[in-house]
Order: sequence, then C-alpha cells, then structure tokens
Amino acid sequence: MTVTPEVKQGVEEVRASFPGHVVEVVDEAQGGAYVVIRDLPIGGKYIPSTTWLGFLIPFQYPRADVYPHFVDASIVRVDNKGHGGGISGRMDWQNRSALQISRKSNHWDAASDTAALKAVKVLEWFIAQ
Amino acid sequence: MRKPVSMTMDARLFDELQAHLFPGDHDEHGAVIAAGIVETERGTRLLAREAFLAKDGVEYVPGTRGYRALTARFVAERSGHCENEKLCYLSVHCHGGTDRVGFSGDDFASHERGYPALLDITRGGPVGALVFAENAVAGDLWTPRGRFQLDHLTVVGSVVKRLYPSPLSELVPSRAMYERQSRLFGDLGQAILGRLKVGIIGLGGGGSLINEWLAHLGVGHIIAIDFDRVDITNLPRIVGATRWDACSLLSERQSEFLRRIGKRFANYKVKVAKRVAKRVNPRIRYDAVVGDILDLETAALLKDADFIFLASDSIQSRLVFNALVHQYLVPGVQVGAKVPADEKTKTITNVFTATRPVMPSPGYGCLECNDLIPPSKLREEALAVNERRRQRYTDDPEIAEPSVIALNVLSAGQAVSDFMLMFTGLFEPGLELRYQLNFVRERQICKVEPTIKLNCPDCSNSANSRRARGDRGRLPCRE
Repeated sequence: MTVTPEVKQGVEEVRASFPGHVVEVVDEAQGGAYVVIRDLPIGGKYIPSTTWLGFLIPFQYPRADVYPHFVDASIVRVDNKGHGGGISGRMDWQNRSALQISRKSNHWDAASDTAALKAVKVLEWFIAQ
Repeated sequence: MRKPVSMTMDARLFDELQAHLFPGDHDEHGAVIAAGIVETERGTRLLAREAFLAKDGVEYVPGTRGYRALTARFVAERSGHCENEKLCYLSVHCHGGTDRVGFSGDDFASHERGYPALLDITRGGPVGALVFAENAVAGDLWTPRGRFQLDHLTVVGSVVKRLYPSPLSELVPSRAMYERQSRLFGDLGQAILGRLKVGIIGLGGGGSLINEWLAHLGVGHIIAIDFDRVDITNLPRIVGATRWDACSLLSERQSEFLRRIGKRFANYKVKVAKRVAKRVNPRIRYDAVVGDILDLETAALLKDADFIFLASDSIQSRLVFNALVHQYLVPGVQVGAKVPADEKTKTITNVFTATRPVMPSPGYGCLECNDLIPPSKLREEALAVNERRRQRYTDDPEIAEPSVIALNVLSAGQAVSDFMLMFTGLFEPGLELRYQLNFVRERQICKVEPTIKLNCPDCSNSANSRRARGDRGRLPCRE
C-alpha cells in the first residue's frame, strides 16, 4: 500500500518543523506512516533530558486526528513523582518500549491542524507537566 | 470521452443559473460553469462545481459576429481559474423557447474559432458550451480526441430531473406486476426507477431491508457492498438469511474450533442480498461485491451510481460515503439506529433511529459539517483490533451494539421512501430534505437544522474541497 499524498505531505511538514533532527518514517499497511523524531530535548524535569517522539499518521489524515504519541519508556521525573494523567505505559509501540501520551484533539480541523503542529503541541505539553 | 456525455448539477446551482438566464426579460444572458469530470462504463459525466454569472453589458456584451458574447477578459479569467483548479470550462447562454433548444450557426462558428485555443490553454479541457431553454439544454463539448454532444443534464435536488435538447418520445408501459405502484408515479416513474443504479453500503439489518424494497420497487441495478459474512446473531435482522447461511450446525456448537470453522464457511451478506433481490425481480442487474468501501477499487464502483444508501456503522465508511456524494455529485442517505445506555445505571436511555439525506449541494450541511465524522473516531478505527485494545480505546470490541429489526425498519423505510419520491418527482417543489431523528420511546420525530461549515473539505466550494472534482480529486481510501 503506498503512502497517500496527504500523509506524504504531513511527513514533509514534520521534517520541516524539526530541522536538525533525524525523522524516521516507516510505511503503514493502509497508506499511513509511522513517524519517529529523534533526540528531542524535553527540559530539566526529566531524566534523560532527550527522547524520541513517535506517532502514526493514519491513512485518512488530515481528516483523522493524529494521536496518541509515544516517548521513550525510560523517562522518569527528576522529582521522582509518577507521570500524571494523559501519560500511560509502559507498552510496546513499533518494537520500542514506550510511554503513551493521549492528547486527543476535540476540535481537530482538517484544514488547519497538521501532524507537525500536533507533535509540537504534544511535546510542549509533555515538557510543561 | 465515453458516450453518452452528460452533466450533473445540484438544484441550488441550477436554480441560481436559471434565475440569471431567465429573469423574465426574454433576452440573452451568459455565464461560465467550472466542472469536474468522471468517466465510467456508463459514460462521461461533467460535474458542475461553480457558476460564474456574467454581468449584462459589462461581461456579456454585444458581439462583433453574433448577438452577444462573453468579454475576452471574462473568458480569460474564468478559463485561468479552470486551468488552475483542473476543472472543465463551459460557457453558457440561453435561447428562447421551452422544451427544445440548439446552437445557432453563429454559436457553432464561434466555438470553432475559440475552442481549439481554449483547449490548449486549459491543458486539454474538456471545454465547451451549453445553451439553455427554460426546460431544455444542449451542449457542444470539445476534447483533444474529438467533439461530443451533451446527451442530458441531471439536476439533483429533492426532485431529481433531467433536461434534454428535446423531449424524449419513447415511453414503455410498465410491466403488469408494477401496475399498482405505477398508479402512484406513472409509467415514466417506473421507467426511471428501472434505469437507476443504486449502491448499498452495508447489508446488515438496515441494508438488507433497503435491498429487498429496492428490488420490489423495480430498481434496475443494485450494487451491494459488504465484506462481512452472516453470523448466527444476524438471523433476526437480515432479510432472507437462513440458518444454513450462518452455518449454524457449526457456529452454534460449544467447541470454539467448530464455531470458528462455521464462521469461516458462513455465506456472505451480499450473496444473501442478491438471492433476495433476484427472487423479487429476476431481471434486476445485481453486483454483489464482497469488499470494503475503504478500498479505492470498491468505492470507485459507486462513482457513477444514481443514489447511495449508507447502512454501515463505521465512521470510516461515513467518511468515504460523504466524499462520494460530494466528489461525484451522487445523492445519498445514511441510516442507523442508536441504543445509548447510561454507563452508571446500565439502563437504556434515548433510543433513536436516524435518516440523514446527504445532498451534493454546498451549504446543505453534510455529515462532516454536522460533526458526524469525528477525527478521533477515524483515528481509532484506523487501528487494528489488537492495537486498539493495547491503546485502550475500546473496552471490548467483541461486544456489539444492540440491534433490532423493528428499529432498522423505521430509518430504512423513511430512506427508501425519500429515494422513491426524489426520483419519481413526487416531493413538494423546493422541499429541503433534513436529517430526521425518531425517538421511538417518546414517539417523537425531530427534524435537525443543519450546521454548515463554510470551508468544509467535502461539501463547500473552498479551494481544498473535493466537491464536484470527480476523477480529478482523490477519495479518502486505501489504494
């Protein structure tokens, strides 16, 4: 199954939004794409202070929302508190041990929301926890 | 281009164009239509997306060779728009008269002067011209491979009507078996039903009822799409399904292994539907498609349907249905029943059935506009069952929703009745087909005022919308 033109564009926008970071892309069986952005800084609240961020851009993107997102399962908080609501795990995602971040967009708009924008927002939210 | 070549236009656009062309002054007026195109084994359809109405005396002026003409600037701007949007450019003007119309010698001469160059400018078009009388239309269409005449124009609204260059004369009397129903809609109405191609997505409880009733009505061609097999739990709902179809000798056994074998050898729902339809009307043309509407090859089978019934539960199938309706200007209706339960008390709450006609007009309010295709649900349904479980977006996908034939009847009956009245021209003129919810425990029927998204990716004329793009757009399917 070939990646749809919309998903391909979504991947390109992710690459453009995270310059200097390796973006791994694996085709999904229905025409979507699994995306992993490597070595993203997540600030001083976490150990380690960098992570990968992974997600599936589904084949019906941009009509379909992009969620959940996944980060490295080894991430712990510096203050030793557990992760809060919206973060769960550990689990296996694309052969990686991962924490799942569930940030569903209740007002996802296919005309303006993108996979890249969602990745930035999810990362910002995670850093702010 | 395959013949016959026809055009489809939604009723609102048609009314707007008619008001411009026939304001009551008996003079000539002009416009341009930008149209998509679809080519199938049934012929070629031009799909009217937008009409640009030329201002009299400014954009539609006295001609140097003919009576009136569009100005060079107006033509250049509109043809440029069509080129950018990959749409077909069609100039429009009107003549006097009512039921017959044709181009004049001056008209043809101007086409021969202008359209070869316009074909180049719009990169192959097609381009052409339409001439309207009040109840007739003719067309001269140019492609790189030759010139074609327009066979007819289909206007899609609460009444679906056809305009031809001149009235059709042949009318075959209905078969004796249709004598009683053709007393309602006449031999012509019966003949119209007989030449329709109707799609049904989902042949479960609601779809199987629709299937049987369409066959009884004398619809000429049904294309039924469902990948699922008959399960023993379907027998109380699927019309015509037998224990044999459900492989009940195996599927009712205690042994999980035997039950699995039974499910594997059960009959497909579309095969049961075909048997039912053929029993009712042996002459019906029937395509029983074991397939998923999410696959492009399967969805494409409906792009030249005259009407589509959506009787499937999934949000993904709503997305594809809504896209087919607007991209190919095929009217349709979504049917369903909902039995919500209070999570705390586990009691049934507002049981309702829904009949949602979806008309291919901008500003009518489609399934997307009315938030009936939630992006989060699309995302969840795109996951495999085990992924969905792992990511905890469902408690147990094996637990099915309640489903009862008496509820299916309410939504399916309204839908088939709407369909029949649309095509036989029996709806009141100008009627707006609103979504209808039937709250069965209260015996209350509600009409839903539509929500309209101005930039809807399906039904609007915004730059990114698929409306009327036909084969030059992309369906949201697996390829």
